[in-house]
Amino acid sequence: MSTLLDVKSLHTLYGSSHILHGVSFSIQPGQAVSLMGRNGMGKTTTLKSILGLVTPRSGTVTFQGEEITQKETWRRMQLDIAYVPEGRGMFHNLTVKEHLQIAARANRKGEKHWDYERVLKTFPRLQERLNNLGTQLSGGEQQMLAIGRALVTNPELLILDEATEGLAPLIRKEIWEVIRTIKDSGISTLIVDKNIQVLKDLCDQHIVLVKGKVVFDGSSERLINELETVESYLAV
Amino acid sequence: MTTSLFFIQLINGLQYGLLLFLIASGLTLVFGVMGILNLAHGSMYMVGAYLAWYFFTHTDSFLLSAIISAVIALSIGILVERTLIRQLYHRNHLDQVLLTIGMIFVFNALQSLLWGNDPQGIKVPDLLSGSIPLTDTLSYPVYRIFVAVICILLAAALYYTINKTRLGMLIRAGESNREMVECLGINISRLYTIVFAIGVMLAAIAGVLSAPMVSIVPGMGEHVLIACFVVVVIGGMGSIKGAFVAALLVGIVDTFAAVLLPSIASMVVYILMALILLVKPKGLFSN
Repeated sequence: MSTLLDVKSLHTLYGSSHILHGVSFSIQPGQAVSLMGRNGMGKTTTLKSILGLVTPRSGTVTFQGEEITQKETWRRMQLDIAYVPEGRGMFHNLTVKEHLQIAARANRKGEKHWDYERVLKTFPRLQERLNNLGTQLSGGEQQMLAIGRALVTNPELLILDEATEGLAPLIRKEIWEVIRTIKDSGISTLIVDKNIQVLKDLCDQHIVLVKGKVVFDGSSERLINELETVESYLAV
Repeated sequence: MTTSLFFIQLINGLQYGLLLFLIASGLTLVFGVMGILNLAHGSMYMVGAYLAWYFFTHTDSFLLSAIISAVIALSIGILVERTLIRQLYHRNHLDQVLLTIGMIFVFNALQSLLWGNDPQGIKVPDLLSGSIPLTDTLSYPVYRIFVAVICILLAAALYYTINKTRLGMLIRAGESNREMVECLGINISRLYTIVFAIGVMLAAIAGVLSAPMVSIVPGMGEHVLIACFVVVVIGGMGSIKGAFVAALLVGIVDTFAAVLLPSIASMVVYILMALILLVKPKGLFSN
């Protein structure tokens, strides 16, 4: 099978500050890939460059063989990419039910593996809060809704930015279990997080960024062998 | 003031308030969803009134002229959003003010070129020209009641659209988090075109409905724009519900002020606005 996502030598700037210095990596279909790094190393900027929320100065983003570097964000998402942003991106004036309703659609192949009912089955806590507004939920519930909202678009690639940040340990565990289920269902994932212990078991491939450059790109096996070096990249 | 006179003024105030809501709803919707302060919004009220006059004199049918005017207004809305307003999304409020003031000048110049500067008027359509007697000496024109009913129906349709339809969900979502809407694969530009065009059409319909009740004159748009800003500010910028309550409040207060306090009538709504902002600096229903 051909490469799902291919990112080549991305250079992204915010004004005059150069954030990404030639970031390259790729994701194969079905793979779970982690993107790690300390704060300010360019993780979110990498995601935003992939999504078209910022425009890279140079470099290319290719999804399923189609170059999408210049495409508008919504057109990229229509190619079956879904995004769970840092901070969860709730709509303060939409109910839980409406969050799922506006997002739900079949993927490009016309398949609907994930629908409203399946999301509620996966996250029973949302069932009780269907008529609450997005911002009336607890942090954990918001995260579940953000993931559910991404899933009902039936993505090929799910991008998660700090999905477990600021959550209680039990909720965190629940979220990781769901992400594992998603991975096992065949959806490719790109996961930004800091928890290397979970990521080394969950993901197949790992990318570490330091100052906008890829300093590590390898399998879990390699990650475990070079754990000390990688941890030094992540240490504050 | 006798009871019946009070009653008539109350209906007048409500009817004026409902008309104000029709115009202000578009202004507040466009601000709330798109973050655009459209000073040319009042011009669309003027355009609506002139279009109604122009087509009424040519077709002799009020209904037909209303439909044609609404369709033209919708098209103007789409065109203006796609060509001009779209340039503003990533700019600040000063740029928005400059461009939309410029649009007022353009609309006024077009009005002057196309229709001249003489005051115009149209008669109330025959079917709606009667009056309902209230007492032996007082009666109320059917047309004003008709206008109030149409405004209520349109307000209900707007409420339904925003709260119960998919389009409404998208509008609310866009108001809350534009970037996230795009990240769901939704074409937000198209959503903005629709919202802007609906706002423009509602203002123009208010102009059409007013045409038989007011004299159609240059500058009528600016006058109504200021009243609408008062409504939007009192109601809370971006809040449709706020605009509805504030429009009725402004309509009633303005109407009663004209009767009870004629010497300071033109100031009263601003005093009302100042008092409300003292208690609620962001308006009655701010988010």
